[in-house]
Amino acid sequence: MKHALHSVVFTIFLASTATVGSAGPAIADDIPTFRLLMKDGRILPETLEVPAQTRFRLEVKNEGPGAAEFESLELKKELVLAPGVTRTTVFAPMKPGTYKFFDDFHPETGQGRFVVK
Amino acid sequence: MSNAFFVVWRESLEAFLIAGILYAWLQANDASGKGRRALFGGLAAGAGLALLLGWALLTVQDELTGEALEIFQTATLFVAAGLITQMVLWMRKHGRQMKARLHAELSTAAERSGYLGVAVVAALAVAREGAETVIFLYGLAQGGEMQALAFGALAGFAGAGLTAWLAARSLARLNIGLLLRLSSILLLVLASALLISGIDRLIGAGWLPALLDPVWDTSLLIDDTTKGGKLIADFFGYRARPALSSLLVWAAYWGIVLIAWRKTRHG
Repeated sequence: MKHALHSVVFTIFLASTATVGSAGPAIADDIPTFRLLMKDGRILPETLEVPAQTRFRLEVKNEGPGAAEFESLELKKELVLAPGVTRTTVFAPMKPGTYKFFDDFHPETGQGRFVVK
Repeated sequence: MSNAFFVVWRESLEAFLIAGILYAWLQANDASGKGRRALFGGLAAGAGLALLLGWALLTVQDELTGEALEIFQTATLFVAAGLITQMVLWMRKHGRQMKARLHAELSTAAERSGYLGVAVVAALAVAREGAETVIFLYGLAQGGEMQALAFGALAGFAGAGLTAWLAARSLARLNIGLLLRLSSILLLVLASALLISGIDRLIGAGWLPALLDPVWDTSLLIDDTTKGGKLIADFFGYRARPALSSLLVWAAYWGIVLIAWRKTRHG
């Protein structure tokens, strides 16, 4: 067990350092960017139209007050945002359809969806 | 305010549950008190790590650091899932040996690594969700919502602690065999949920193909974007629209666990 622990800690370290150097396709600059604003427990706009079968970048800004957590179980994304923080994430090409996302810190008011066309 | 309570309760419940289950088990199986000391040491280390990780999450703005953090968080999910599973199997063996009064023969090295495992599992449990709680509470403080902050933090932590205490107490009332089995199942279910979160993150980051996504859609039955649905997703690994690769990993996990479980019985 001790040995396993050591190798595991080492692996995390390796993985964290190695991938920073080769963040690779995720930061390609030639992909469209869409923006979401998280504000006071709400997500704006609530419906975001994005093109189908296209890799795109999403820039999420939390204007506060309060922290927000952009999350979509369906699209398998999670971004924790302190007030004033902007974070970006890249989405893989999607099939046409509707995909929900929500603010995990404000699940009652912060709901939205991608409409992929 | 009720939202602050709910978020803090949910975010800290997992850590409290793991701590509570481990505590109940150690109390029944470990008279020396070393295990419990390891547990509390791990919890304290986890709180420190949570603050550190929370601070890192507060300061990230650029994509590169964000990605590094994401990798780190994904890795901790897998490590936590793996270590919890390993510990459950260790507990099963350890518990059996103690029951058979073989305590004296248990080598101190094996014992020490077992306690180290307890400490690391506790630390990871606190650090993972703790970091998000730190951000959440920081956000409340920034917004000047001191009342919500105080109430949410205190009541949320207390609520999660109480939930875990009740779980641990009810476990402790059971006979030792049942305690071992039930706490093992609880921990394994939690571990499988962590594993699914990790796999989801890998798919989401584009590092693992989803194969077929979704395989089915049960969001009409239990919608995982709602408050309650998300809770079930967090603790049981439920997904309304699972990807095929998640399902395969989930099935493989339980297959391996079952085989290992049987092996410890015979061995």
